[in-house]
Amino acid sequence: MKPLVLTTIMSTVILGTITVLMSSHWLMIWIGFEMNMLAIIPVLMKSFNPRTMEASTKYFLAQATASMLLMLGVIINLLLTGQWTVLNTPHPITSNMMTVAMAMKLGLSPFHFWMPEVAQGISLSSGMILLTWQKIAPLSVLYQISPSVNPNLLMTMAAMSVLVGGWGGLNQTQLRKILAYSSIAHMGWMVAVTTYNPTLMLLNLTIYIMMTLGTFMLFILSSSTTTLSLSHMWNKTPLITSLVLAIMLSLGGLPPLSGFIPKWMITYELTKNNMVTAAMFMAMTALLNLYFYMRLTYATALTMFPSTNAMKMKWQFENMKNTTLMSPLIVSSTMLLPLTPMMLAMF
Amino acid sequence: MALVLRFLNGAYIFRHCPKPYASCPYLVTRFADYCSSSLQNPVAASGRTSSQRKSEGDLQGHHQREVALDIASPEEKPEVSFDKAIKDEIKDHFRRLKDDIVNHWIGPEGRPLHEVLMEQAKVVWQFRGKEDLDKWVVTSDKSIGGRSEVFLKMGKNNQSALLYGTLSSEVPKDGESGRSGYCAMISRIPRGPFEKKRAYDWSQFNTLYLRVRGDGRPWMVNIREDTDIIQRKNQMYSYFMFTRGGPYWQEVKIPFSKFFFSNQGRIRDAQYQLLLDKISSIGFTLADKVDGPFFLEIDFIGVFTDPAHTEEFAYENSPELNPRLFK
Repeated sequence: MKPLVLTTIMSTVILGTITVLMSSHWLMIWIGFEMNMLAIIPVLMKSFNPRTMEASTKYFLAQATASMLLMLGVIINLLLTGQWTVLNTPHPITSNMMTVAMAMKLGLSPFHFWMPEVAQGISLSSGMILLTWQKIAPLSVLYQISPSVNPNLLMTMAAMSVLVGGWGGLNQTQLRKILAYSSIAHMGWMVAVTTYNPTLMLLNLTIYIMMTLGTFMLFILSSSTTTLSLSHMWNKTPLITSLVLAIMLSLGGLPPLSGFIPKWMITYELTKNNMVTAAMFMAMTALLNLYFYMRLTYATALTMFPSTNAMKMKWQFENMKNTTLMSPLIVSSTMLLPLTPMMLAMF
Repeated sequence: MALVLRFLNGAYIFRHCPKPYASCPYLVTRFADYCSSSLQNPVAASGRTSSQRKSEGDLQGHHQREVALDIASPEEKPEVSFDKAIKDEIKDHFRRLKDDIVNHWIGPEGRPLHEVLMEQAKVVWQFRGKEDLDKWVVTSDKSIGGRSEVFLKMGKNNQSALLYGTLSSEVPKDGESGRSGYCAMISRIPRGPFEKKRAYDWSQFNTLYLRVRGDGRPWMVNIREDTDIIQRKNQMYSYFMFTRGGPYWQEVKIPFSKFFFSNQGRIRDAQYQLLLDKISSIGFTLADKVDGPFFLEIDFIGVFTDPAHTEEFAYENSPELNPRLFK
């Protein structure tokens, strides 16, 4: 894509999300979502082939349906309350409708079916944007309507998402699908705590974005899209292999890595609010996620899979890809646990 | 819905097909299609003329003479049971669902991950019994009114499959067809419980391996990807397979990087790499414009990793041919 075209499109993507973040008028929020969706379509189709076209079509259909549902909720809210303002508590019917619309945008269960297919069909860099930046706008809307959201609906979707994310990712060998199911599970954790402590949701989102960006950058650096190519990484870049180990365990929520912070805080918050069963269920289903992260780690860093002699020569070639942000992202994805009190104070 | 469709496609019939009932013309057609995978090769939606049915009956009789060993023994009585069919179908689907869940827990494709990762060769289709033939569909230009015929049966000693027939490039006189003369053998799309569509994941292999014995004719190997979009059902990736015609078996190795892209039967200027993570079906087509009999004997079809083959994609796109890709 030409630089000018790419700049315009990426600016529109960023502007769409910022419009959603800064708006207090429902129509502007809807406009922001539409700008963001329409601008991200060419980004998803950056490497044009029939598969990316199919993935972009599926993404468009899912997001357009969600936007339509959001607009319906907004108009019904206008009819019932006479207000366009976001801060006014919407009617329960409209808040449920908006919750479902945001769930579709986020890929929460049972509206998650588009997520693995879309993530698998696009390139790694587009997938990185899809699974990180595109979560910000819907979660900000959920944050704003959190006082009026039906907690039962949200908790049900959260529990289903954690289960689906763990179960679905179990026997995948394609890395993008694994990260898509990981995203579904993490979204489940985020929305579970939204009604009780919305700032924890933001903390979880921040840490999740850091971890996912770091993971994607590692995969882009080694051009790995399958578990097999990741298992040959020990031949080419042994240092990156050990970083994959750290970041995978962090994604799985193992202490003393950063990924443990949101799980710990969310479980604590749910327990404080007498949601012990839900907290226990989510903690147990998080083990499914940890299982497939561990399997990836086993294949990548803990074992040296046999490879051909041709692969051993790659170490002599310098990697020309941009790795500017990789170091701070990996450090922040793995070593932030001691800063938990400071982060809680900030958020 | 899937169960109803399966039932309408054919009631539960033990190996021997009864005469079709005159009062149910729809079931008549479906009975013929379903029960004949061994006795008669399933032909894709054919014309409905009586002359074609008659010629099919003649061919069926001819074919039955050739596969006399397939006729059921006299002790086995034909049995058609509606309730039993439905119950068995439901049990079968739930059993497959249970297997699916257990296999999902074990690992990809129901095997541990390290086994799948270290696999370097895999036989995907082989022909050792009648049940292997059921995974394939044969089709020819008869579906558009042509005169080609194609059959599929087990070869000698049940060690191979024999695809044979007669190619005829005579154009059907329907006022719209300009060309004719093709025969094909296409694999059925793999299905899971409740007829859920599945796909093959060949992303860790890079070459297609075929053990065939032909008659010197050029064939085309077509691979289709799994898709949910109707427009993409006409897209496929193809490459040529030239058979030698001798008495010796031939091992054909085609790297996946060599497959070229075509849409609606036309090779496109913009070429795309065959992505191997969602393969739906493979097919063999004969359309070399030479009228006459043909045969192709297939032992097995597999995939393997050729470590010497490092090419990712054999064709390049250029700004002159497809400027849209370079905007």
